[in-house]
Amino acid sequence: MRDRSMNLRPLRPALSDVVIVLALLTSGCATRPQSPAPGVAAAEEDFNDPFEDANRKIFDFNQVVDRHVLAPAAKAYRAALPEPVRNSLRDFLNNLQEPLIFANDTLQGDFGRAKDTVVRFVLNSTIGMGGIVDVAGRWGIPYHEQDLGVTLGVWGVPTGPYLVLPVLGPSDPRDFGAEVAESFGDPWNRLVTGNPFTLYWIPFVRGGVDGIDRRARYLDALADIERTSLDYYATIRSLYRQRRAALIRHENKNLPPPSGFTQNGGPATAANGGPAAPTNGGPAAASSGAANSAAAARVVSAVQNGFEVSR
Amino acid sequence: VTIRRAFLMAACLVLAVVVTARPAAAAADPAAVITNLGNQALEVLGRNVNPNDRAARFRQLFSEDFDVPGIARFVLGRYWNVATEPQQQEFVRLFADYIAVAYSNRLAEYSGETLRVTGSRPAPDGSLVSSEIVRPNGAPPARVDWLLNQRDGAYKITDVIVEGVSMAVTQRSEFASVIQRNGGQVQSLIAALRQKTARAGLR
Repeated sequence: MRDRSMNLRPLRPALSDVVIVLALLTSGCATRPQSPAPGVAAAEEDFNDPFEDANRKIFDFNQVVDRHVLAPAAKAYRAALPEPVRNSLRDFLNNLQEPLIFANDTLQGDFGRAKDTVVRFVLNSTIGMGGIVDVAGRWGIPYHEQDLGVTLGVWGVPTGPYLVLPVLGPSDPRDFGAEVAESFGDPWNRLVTGNPFTLYWIPFVRGGVDGIDRRARYLDALADIERTSLDYYATIRSLYRQRRAALIRHENKNLPPPSGFTQNGGPATAANGGPAAPTNGGPAAASSGAANSAAAARVVSAVQNGFEVSR
Repeated sequence: VTIRRAFLMAACLVLAVVVTARPAAAAADPAAVITNLGNQALEVLGRNVNPNDRAARFRQLFSEDFDVPGIARFVLGRYWNVATEPQQQEFVRLFADYIAVAYSNRLAEYSGETLRVTGSRPAPDGSLVSSEIVRPNGAPPARVDWLLNQRDGAYKITDVIVEGVSMAVTQRSEFASVIQRNGGQVQSLIAALRQKTARAGLR
């Protein structure tokens, strides 16, 4: 098990180090040309976004497409199909993804999760009737996201500059390259490519439905983030990059309970009957808003996955 | 004498109960802070709460349980030291307003999720409490980690990390972008925050 605090905490010190170094570099050595006016900063924050002007234009274009095509389609989809049907569809699509997830789990040397993926695929494809019921999830083996971009990240391949792709949305050279490669490696895609005249449309339908379903799940969340953001582009950029980084750090599980922490009683000092007791409504309060933001990050990669026409 | 003694004992007992039941006592344990926040948030969210009061109530909750000055300083990043003192003060105030407006809006979509604290452990300068948001529709739970610092003997939240995404880092990145696109002027961010929070009726 990795020491997550090593991954989580150094952010601040690291950032402040960067700040200090940049401040030193930009403030010049002995003679300052002129002291900047109060309220004007000399240093720039590094977003690794050298194509920002072009990216923002494409982002605006994507927003127009979203407003006129994707969001209306997602709303219609949500209105037309009841939630259980949509959930079954999601489970089915997730199940189709499992072979690639297994490959990536294995490539990352994460054999525990690779085993989980095999168990999930076998159970859901059989008892789960071809994947429309996520029986494995109900029995305590939840679905996990995984893709070749994450695998490359685990191997140490850098993300490269931030890119906004037309329709596909936020990406970077590593993740986009990995996605194209995966679309060729996808077993279902390979299965239908031999039959170009009858089955060529299947990957398109799959990608389209996947994208609409994901967009539908985050309709309110994304609308809300857009409304409250001062700079929506910058917010999405940050969410996307942090989410990808978190997947690469393998922070998919909660921290193990510390010694002395029991599921039933919680720490002895805890008031309110121990923190392990589900508080009804809970800070779900304070954090469901935050969860929405993470959802946005997922949507971002989702929309991208969904509209992968290259399949 | 025995009656007086019994009375005294009873008084002590009551006092002991009152003292231990006070939220301040709970604040000594980071996991309990998060649990408490949940109970308080429920009041803020309750269906009978006037939507117009939500932002103001949320702002109060935010000020009590979060290290607002510390977070404000972090999200302004390098620009904190560039800002003048009046700018710093106004920024801290506007930032709290902004968080209240943004998040109380998002919380209006609350639909029966529950929070479960799953563990806690010491972090370099404080404590990290991990939790899950369990969703009623059977969707996989969302992982939420809370970073807390000890300040004046009480634990205050410094960051909320949802599925590995830090809210403080996100906010910092957005604010830096706003400032940079306006010629490095901290005042531009302050103006934007003023505009965003103007109609919230927080004061």
